[in-house]
Amino acid sequence: MSDEEHHFESKADAGASKTFPQQAGTIRKNGYIVIKGRPCKVVEVSTSKTGKHGHAKCHFVAIDIFNGKKLEDIVPSSHNCDVPHVNRTDYQLIDISEDGFVSLLTDNGNTKDDLRLPTDENLLTQIKDGFAEGKDLVVSVMSAMGEEQICALKDIGPK
Amino acid sequence: MKENLLDSIRSTVFKQSDSLDGICTTIEGYDFNKGVDYHEVLKSMVSTGFQASNLGDAIQLVNEMLDWRLSDENLTEECSEEESDPTYRKSVKCKVFLGFTSNLISSGVRDIIRYLVQHRMVDVVVTTAGGVEEDLVKCLAPTYKGEFSLPGAALRAKGLNRIGNLLVPNDNYCKFEDWIIPIFDQMFDEQTSMNTLWTPSKVISRLGKEINDESSYLYWAHKNDIPVFCPGLTDGSLGDMLYFHSFKKEPGLVIDIVQDIRAMNGEAVHAGLRKTGMVILGGGLPKHHICNANMMRNGADYAIFINTAQEFDGSDSGARPDEAVSWGKIRGSAKTVKVHCDATIAFPLLVAETFAAKAKRSVDDTS
Repeated sequence: MSDEEHHFESKADAGASKTFPQQAGTIRKNGYIVIKGRPCKVVEVSTSKTGKHGHAKCHFVAIDIFNGKKLEDIVPSSHNCDVPHVNRTDYQLIDISEDGFVSLLTDNGNTKDDLRLPTDENLLTQIKDGFAEGKDLVVSVMSAMGEEQICALKDIGPK
Repeated sequence: MKENLLDSIRSTVFKQSDSLDGICTTIEGYDFNKGVDYHEVLKSMVSTGFQASNLGDAIQLVNEMLDWRLSDENLTEECSEEESDPTYRKSVKCKVFLGFTSNLISSGVRDIIRYLVQHRMVDVVVTTAGGVEEDLVKCLAPTYKGEFSLPGAALRAKGLNRIGNLLVPNDNYCKFEDWIIPIFDQMFDEQTSMNTLWTPSKVISRLGKEINDESSYLYWAHKNDIPVFCPGLTDGSLGDMLYFHSFKKEPGLVIDIVQDIRAMNGEAVHAGLRKTGMVILGGGLPKHHICNANMMRNGADYAIFINTAQEFDGSDSGARPDEAVSWGKIRGSAKTVKVHCDATIAFPLLVAETFAAKAKRSVDDTS
């Protein structure tokens, strides 16, 4: 009983810890940042020192981790930015439904059925083909700010 | 034989000259035995020669421009009944365009310009981006006197920006940023909710309203409804602020330069029966923008240029008024002067003997 309660609490997030603040000047390349409400991975940071344009500023170029769009932002380096909590969890792939949902096996033996197939064509083909061939597949699910997506695939079956 | 040779040499060296008496002014400088009378010193410039004479001529020309009334002109056939009324004609004055580069606003000439705008002595102002922001920044923090020779790298390390022999600390621009970004936020909201279409002159008027400081010429320009045009509004700290603000509130403020060129050229075209005069300090964009607008009315009637640029490189900045006549930017019949002098010296002296002198006289007359 208590196990389930714990499980229930961690799932319910309550939105309190989706992001955390971090000073813009400390965010580096390959880190994460929230731009226009989207969780992104930083691909470029450049700083312009205090000058005629006012306070020192950080210029971020980042990629949305879910839809791959390129986003830009400029923030004074002393300001706080939102950084998303990004989690990766591995699940075993049990089934693929006709309407594009996957059925995954969680750690404690339950199934997770609310995730769609990924939109990335490569990954999609790999999963569909691998599953059709009866391979044992483990998918990595990336989650941030209430959104989830399959981001990688592993074949754990016998060679 | 020797006699003839000597005579011929004598007649070559001592060639008979035409008399200039009564045709040209004789050169005579001020006599300090009369005491230190600044007004008389300035009056004597006309006969001192070189650029002093040009400044003296500029003073005379500005006074002529300020004294002109429509009643000085003959009635034309197209004049309406209202336009023919003598009292009305006596009230119609020359329309004055004032242009200046931004370094002059960094300098103390900003306060001279503030005086002119405060007392409605000019009708239209044209400047560059720095000419707008330096006036606002001075209300938030001062500019300091430095030296031309201060080494750049050392200044950069100390966060000091050099403008000639003036210094502006980085901190001043930080204060400017903290002041202006919330205003841009409000303006952006007005753009989206009230469909306000901003133009450089509207932005400048709003900033003049917001600074609300009597030491600012932009404050007085807003208060007295004197338009300030700046087509190159992004070319300065203002541009940096607009750039950063556009990330904060995507896609940022929309600022329409087409509406402003309509307004600027309109100032010249719809001057109507008024004569137009241009007082331009420095070169660059302000100089050309004013001249070009006046081309729309077939040329200005008065032109006073004060700058240090030379014409040998074909630049517009260095071009003398006569070059503008070839374009139709100044009338063939116009009176013009170029004073080859740094405006920080020439302009305060010019204003002392023209705009300010007339204001003092009218105060004395009425008192």
